[in-house]
Amino acid sequence: MKIAVLIKYVPEATAAWRFAEDHTLDRDSVDGRLSELDEYAVEQAVRLVEAGSATEISYLTMGPARAVDAVRKALAMGGDRAVHVLDDALHGSDAVGTASVLAAALRRMEFDLVIFGMASTDAEMSVLPVMVADLLRLPAVANAVTLRVDGSALTAERETDDAIEEVVAPLPALVSVTDRSGEARYPSFKGIVAAKKKPVTTWSLSDLEIAPERVGTAGAATEVLAVRPSPPREAGTVIVDEGDAAVRLAEFLAANKLL
Amino acid sequence: MALRMILGLVMTGLAFTVAGRRLAMLVRLGRVAQPVEPGRTRGGAARLRAELTEVLGQRKLLTWTVPGLAHVLAFWGFLVLGLTVIEGYGALFQRDFHLPLIGNQPWLGFLEDLFVVATLASVLIFAAIRIRHSPAREGRGSRFFGSHLDAAWLVLFMIFNVVWSLVLYRGAQINTGNFPYRSGAFVSEAVARLIRPLGATGNDVVETAGLLTALGILLLFLVLVVHSKHLHIFTAAGNVAFGRRPRALGALLPVYSAGKPVDFEDPGEHDRIGRASIEDFTWKGLLDFATCTECGRCQSQCPAWNTGKPLSPKSLVMDLRDHALAAAPYLLAGAKSRVDALAAAAAQTPLVGTDGVIHPDVLWSCTTCGACVEQCPVDIEHVDHIVDMRRYQVLMESSFPPEAGVLLRNLEHAGDPWGRGAGARTEWTAGLDFPVRTLDGDRLPDDVEYLFWVGCAGAFDDRAQRTSRAVAQLLHTAGVRFAVLGSGETCTGDPARRIGHEVLFQQLAAQNVETLDSAGVRRIVATCAHCFNTLANEYPQLGGNYEVLHHTQLLARLVADGRLTPVTPVDATVTYHDPCYLGRHNRIFTPPREILGNLPGVRLAEPERTREKSFCCGAGGARMWLDETLGTRINEKRTDELLETGPDMVAAACPYCVDMLADGVALRRQQGRAGTHVTVTDVAEILLRAVHDPAAPPTGADRPAPITADDPGRT
Ligand code: SF4
Ligand code: SF4
Repeated sequence: MKIAVLIKYVPEATAAWRFAEDHTLDRDSVDGRLSELDEYAVEQAVRLVEAGSATEISYLTMGPARAVDAVRKALAMGGDRAVHVLDDALHGSDAVGTASVLAAALRRMEFDLVIFGMASTDAEMSVLPVMVADLLRLPAVANAVTLRVDGSALTAERETDDAIEEVVAPLPALVSVTDRSGEARYPSFKGIVAAKKKPVTTWSLSDLEIAPERVGTAGAATEVLAVRPSPPREAGTVIVDEGDAAVRLAEFLAANKLL
Repeated sequence: MALRMILGLVMTGLAFTVAGRRLAMLVRLGRVAQPVEPGRTRGGAARLRAELTEVLGQRKLLTWTVPGLAHVLAFWGFLVLGLTVIEGYGALFQRDFHLPLIGNQPWLGFLEDLFVVATLASVLIFAAIRIRHSPAREGRGSRFFGSHLDAAWLVLFMIFNVVWSLVLYRGAQINTGNFPYRSGAFVSEAVARLIRPLGATGNDVVETAGLLTALGILLLFLVLVVHSKHLHIFTAAGNVAFGRRPRALGALLPVYSAGKPVDFEDPGEHDRIGRASIEDFTWKGLLDFATCTECGRCQSQCPAWNTGKPLSPKSLVMDLRDHALAAAPYLLAGAKSRVDALAAAAAQTPLVGTDGVIHPDVLWSCTTCGACVEQCPVDIEHVDHIVDMRRYQVLMESSFPPEAGVLLRNLEHAGDPWGRGAGARTEWTAGLDFPVRTLDGDRLPDDVEYLFWVGCAGAFDDRAQRTSRAVAQLLHTAGVRFAVLGSGETCTGDPARRIGHEVLFQQLAAQNVETLDSAGVRRIVATCAHCFNTLANEYPQLGGNYEVLHHTQLLARLVADGRLTPVTPVDATVTYHDPCYLGRHNRIFTPPREILGNLPGVRLAEPERTREKSFCCGAGGARMWLDETLGTRINEKRTDELLETGPDMVAAACPYCVDMLADGVALRRQQGRAGTHVTVTDVAEILLRAVHDPAAPPTGADRPAPITADDPGRT
């Protein structure tokens, strides 16, 4: 059984993000990394291989040239090869554009199961898994916490607010996993060295036979009109105990309708 | 005569064959190991000095007065009695043999007999120590807990036998007229008087029998020595000669494979990273293990062992030695398939693992405090070996306590252990009534005298932020022109390196060296003992050479120069805790004491374990970010030791120590075991209080706020 894992290169969460003239994130000004939430997807795929349920893992990413860092990180955790969709015309793509590119790439790859992280840690839209599934006409299981594959079916557990659902889907299928699916492994140096030797294929839009004007800023159905920094957090209230701390604490909670 | 000669030579031949084969095996085992890193033979003068002071002068042994003196007697006894062995062998061939030139001098006879007495005295003292501090009586508290006790007693018994048979022979020699000394040998003479009644023939027999017995026991002893912990008699001098100088503390060594530094960018196919198995150690490592005397000095000071954790540096070394010997037949065999099954199994036991030679709990309990290295009389390099084993576990196996994963990810992604990120690095300056100059662009302005290295704790930890502000305030008051790197600073890499992640250390360190060099930094002052150690001792390995001062050094100098004047009495009993990485690792003991000692109203109280023997707070070796689930807590033990001095204030000079001890004191206060007024603080904050004139209006945000141990915000 072959697995394709979708991964994204995102800006470091703790770094200061800057936006370019066209209101897109200035990727050159900030260090990036493999999205933390995608690490869980990689982990699940590697575990399926370790358990003997799967034989091969290919990664797929779409992003700037530096996105190959995220690919190498995933390959250091495990897996066999990767595809990087790289094209200047992709700059500014919205979710629909991105989904169509990823679907087109997946059509050219062999897989029985596609695994996504539950969302990216930068845009946090969490729509791509289902959009891609829709384009590929695949059954989709979103936000799974455990995965099991036997023969021709995927069995996944989903945690909802009041129940744990068990969902069975025939393969090929698409699934997204949450951060509760199991601690992602820390790649060893041995893994990092091995990852440098694994093949990473680069595909352009023409390789995928996608017209440039359908994607990127040109093809986006949405437009960012303005970007503003979020207002700084206001300092909290500090209650110094002068014998009446409990009373003042209660008053504070009551005033904020928490009591 | 002929009988004497033949028996003597046969015994010698036999013993030399047995001992020789053993030694040859040990040498071949050393050859299987990796070559040492360069530098082990450089610095001849320092090495000679170490031989003179530590081997001949027994310096480290003498830090423990009674056992030290006993060992001096035994050591010098053996050297001097070596002469009697030569005399004895001479007497095999010629009954009245004497050493050339000085061989008839009465003083030499006296000296030999004096050391006969000395050796006997040492045996008695050692026996008394072993009885008094036996593990049976003291349990884990005994430094002999875990040592091979039977072998040690056997050795003492053998020395005792050598001594009595020697004087018996010498006494008989006097009576038969073959003794080289006419006078001086007072013990031999007394024995001679005792056995004179045996007559001429009797004394003839006793002379030969005594000589053969003495040599026989000595030869047996030789065989025993090469098979036991007493091997140190032969290896200690060599081990000291090839040890790291001045000591195996401070910097950790880079990762070497086959004697060459590993290039992590482009590692060689056959590079061995860290220690995966016993033959990955260098021959000096194996020599360390072979040299351990099982004295347990290291164990007695180890914070892990003293708080009921499974790690004892002594047991660790002994386990590695026992494993090396058990695996030796396999490691040395040409045809591996024909090796004894037990040896093959031993050789294949993983070095680290729950079923391995070293249990992971042992490996991860070490705080790298260096107390063991400091104590070890034969200069064994425990910390290096522990970190080398961690390196393999972390880099090649990704095997470490799960909490460490959070630390490593934070360091990798945010550049600090807390995961706060560079943007928050100047938050600590809020509330200061003067602007702190921050690196803006590439270079620091030329008038900046010191770069103030704030450190991650100093930037993000509540208590340490106060120290940062106190130091900034003091430097500002003294008119020192300083600047900080602000968001240009990242973790020095100390926790990454000490947990074994050398690659991450190299990345962080290279980034800092680049920033520092391009900013034109020459002089650095750091408040964190760990940052200080890494900047001063480890960055030179990456080509970063700076003059690094700890804040206590700079502040002590400013006080001495009159640029800071303590005016306000502090009126408190203060006890000072030596941070491991400031004291033991870097020998900075005086400046913090100078600062505190010169403050009006301060009474300085030294804890029992202090200076070189200071006891770790529990945070070093990246233990700050690991859970402490085994045994009792190190910080509580150290807190209790400090509280015994009856302090009003506990002072330290490292943010991690302050944090650990503040937690300890807060707990003891809660339990009613410490006065509610007892506080924990950095030396700088106490100085700031004293420098601050109470008549002047408060300026800095922290002045003159009370210093409390149970600061909110600590999780
Ligand atoms: S460095 Fe400290 S904690 Fe580690 S073994 Fe030595 S004494 Fe024990
Ligand atoms: S390692 Fe050193 S201090 Fe520890 S028992 Fe061995 S010889 Fe003694």
